[in-house]
Amino acid sequence: MVSLSLSNKRYTYIHESESKPTREAIDIHHVIINGGRATGYARRRGLGFFLVFLASSMYFLLGKDNPVRTLSWGCLLSGFLVMLQSRKFVNKESVIIMPTFGIQLETQYLSGKTVSRFIPIGKILKPVLVECVTPITCYWSLSLFLRGEEQLTLVFKELRPPLKMLVPIWKALCAAIGTDHQSETLAEEEYNVSS
Amino acid sequence: MAEPPKLRVLMVSDFFFPNFGGVENHIYYLSQCLLKLGHKVVVMTHAYGNRSGVRYMTGGLKVYYVPWRPFVMQTTFPTVYGTLPIVRSILRREKITVVHGHQAFSTLCHEALMHARTMGYKVVFTDHSLYGFADVGSIHMNKVLQFSLADIDQAICVSHTSKENTVLRSGLSPAKVFMIPNAVDTAMFKPASVRPSTEIITIVVISRLVYRKGADLLVEVIPEVCRLYPNVRFVVGGDGPKHVRLEEMREKHSLQDRVEMLGAVPHSRVRSVLVTGHIFLNSSLTEAFCIAILEAASCGLLTVSTRVGGVPEVLPDDMVVLAEPDPDDMVRAIEKAISILPSVNPEEMHNRMKKLYSWQDVAKRTEIVYDRALKCSNRNLLERLSRFLSCGAWAGKLFCMVMILDYLLWRLLQLLQPDEDIEEAPDIRLCHQRGVEVSEGLKEEDKVRNG
Repeated sequence: MVSLSLSNKRYTYIHESESKPTREAIDIHHVIINGGRATGYARRRGLGFFLVFLASSMYFLLGKDNPVRTLSWGCLLSGFLVMLQSRKFVNKESVIIMPTFGIQLETQYLSGKTVSRFIPIGKILKPVLVECVTPITCYWSLSLFLRGEEQLTLVFKELRPPLKMLVPIWKALCAAIGTDHQSETLAEEEYNVSS
Repeated sequence: MAEPPKLRVLMVSDFFFPNFGGVENHIYYLSQCLLKLGHKVVVMTHAYGNRSGVRYMTGGLKVYYVPWRPFVMQTTFPTVYGTLPIVRSILRREKITVVHGHQAFSTLCHEALMHARTMGYKVVFTDHSLYGFADVGSIHMNKVLQFSLADIDQAICVSHTSKENTVLRSGLSPAKVFMIPNAVDTAMFKPASVRPSTEIITIVVISRLVYRKGADLLVEVIPEVCRLYPNVRFVVGGDGPKHVRLEEMREKHSLQDRVEMLGAVPHSRVRSVLVTGHIFLNSSLTEAFCIAILEAASCGLLTVSTRVGGVPEVLPDDMVVLAEPDPDDMVRAIEKAISILPSVNPEEMHNRMKKLYSWQDVAKRTEIVYDRALKCSNRNLLERLSRFLSCGAWAGKLFCMVMILDYLLWRLLQLLQPDEDIEEAPDIRLCHQRGVEVSEGLKEEDKVRNG
């Protein structure tokens, strides 16, 4: 049952949980790239196919002149590259929280492939919201401190959902691993989430 | 619920902690005092080694260490437009109202001020140093400064001499320049509880041993004073290229037991070195302000200094003996200082310094400058371009083109990433209760849609 749903221009966040949340209930959070982008990727994939088709037809139909050949090879190559790229287009990333057991991080690509990683509950030290600064921009990300690993593990590897979508997931993760984050917020501060 | 901050200030400079120096100290103390007055302060600087990203310092001071490589003397590589996206990001995320740049030598500061002006923010600049007019480096530096300051709202200088210097170099109207001196943390620099005995008079020197700080003068002055006064010893703290010359001087005049060389002294230990002395010697050849003599006076030391730059404005006449930057004149000044030493009372000096200089006072005065800057009218692009044209025949036109390109790039960025897409960062205030630090509350809006 969908208990919470937020969306902005780029991403949609869906939270599925049991109707009567018990301690052992499984919690699932999805972040989906919005429709426009998905069809954009599908369009690019279609373009890739078209380029390959064009290349082969040019090669066979228009004879073996040099400029035509190089052009057709060019189309073929770019077509393959576009198709390869489309495998990297992410459709959805999910976090499945299984209390006392672990969490599963899943990434679903447009090509239908799903990559998942399971992290046992004992390995997670703390989930944190971090501000990442690059030479060009600054964005929020949700990461996990894992036992025995030096680097933080990103929960959402490809997508960059906004802070208002990350906060409920962070709170759910804290609750699942037993960190009572509420005791840390001794002074609440109003923060109006703007759309 | 705490009230929202009155002003939201972004301090920009290449020079900040973990690097240590006058500008860094100034930015830090000013920011802390502004935070106490209820404003929000964010600092932007370049990454230092591994220290990159967002850090929080005492009092909730947020520092952005932007991962741009420094290239020479800790300044960022000047790409002119490269920093536009990150500056825009930070300004929108933190909902900044005033941008305050520090130090003319900082490329990040000039670029950030330029982008902030393009995007319509109010801009204040503080100049911390004196510069020349004659050599090639200075001429170029002054041209860059002229460009940067042609369009700012207000400027701050740390002494009247510095104000004169800045106004002449940049062609800025003196009415726009405020004079706010630096200050000293008198709580940290206290005199010793027991004053060292005056049988042996100790003269302390703490400075970088470079040409600019008059290390060559020391090489002449120290042997002469040691010859005239057998009961005087010197303590020299600090390191630099001129260290070798001082060692040679010690060897030549056999002063190993009279001159103690401490090497580099970390700032946390400066006070402990100062309180072992009676007189503080400053031999700088140029100085816009000189916080070192403030620290010495706060510790109850009588100061002997060269009469250069803004130094005469810093201390009252009975706390300092001034001399020309000439060895004989300095020796005479030290003689005079030794003769008036018995009448000096360190505790009374310290109490006077507490009243004269405080960072809280600097922060209040800076607040007035910010308010004045916010009252300045908004100018559109054409009005601003006309100011640049007066910078010079060729330079004026070049500056105009640079600004037009900056404006176009900003508009392009707005198309690619609209202002609404840059989400605002929540204000995180640190509260210390039972050792736990973070206070962060987020209220989820009623955007729940049942799918």
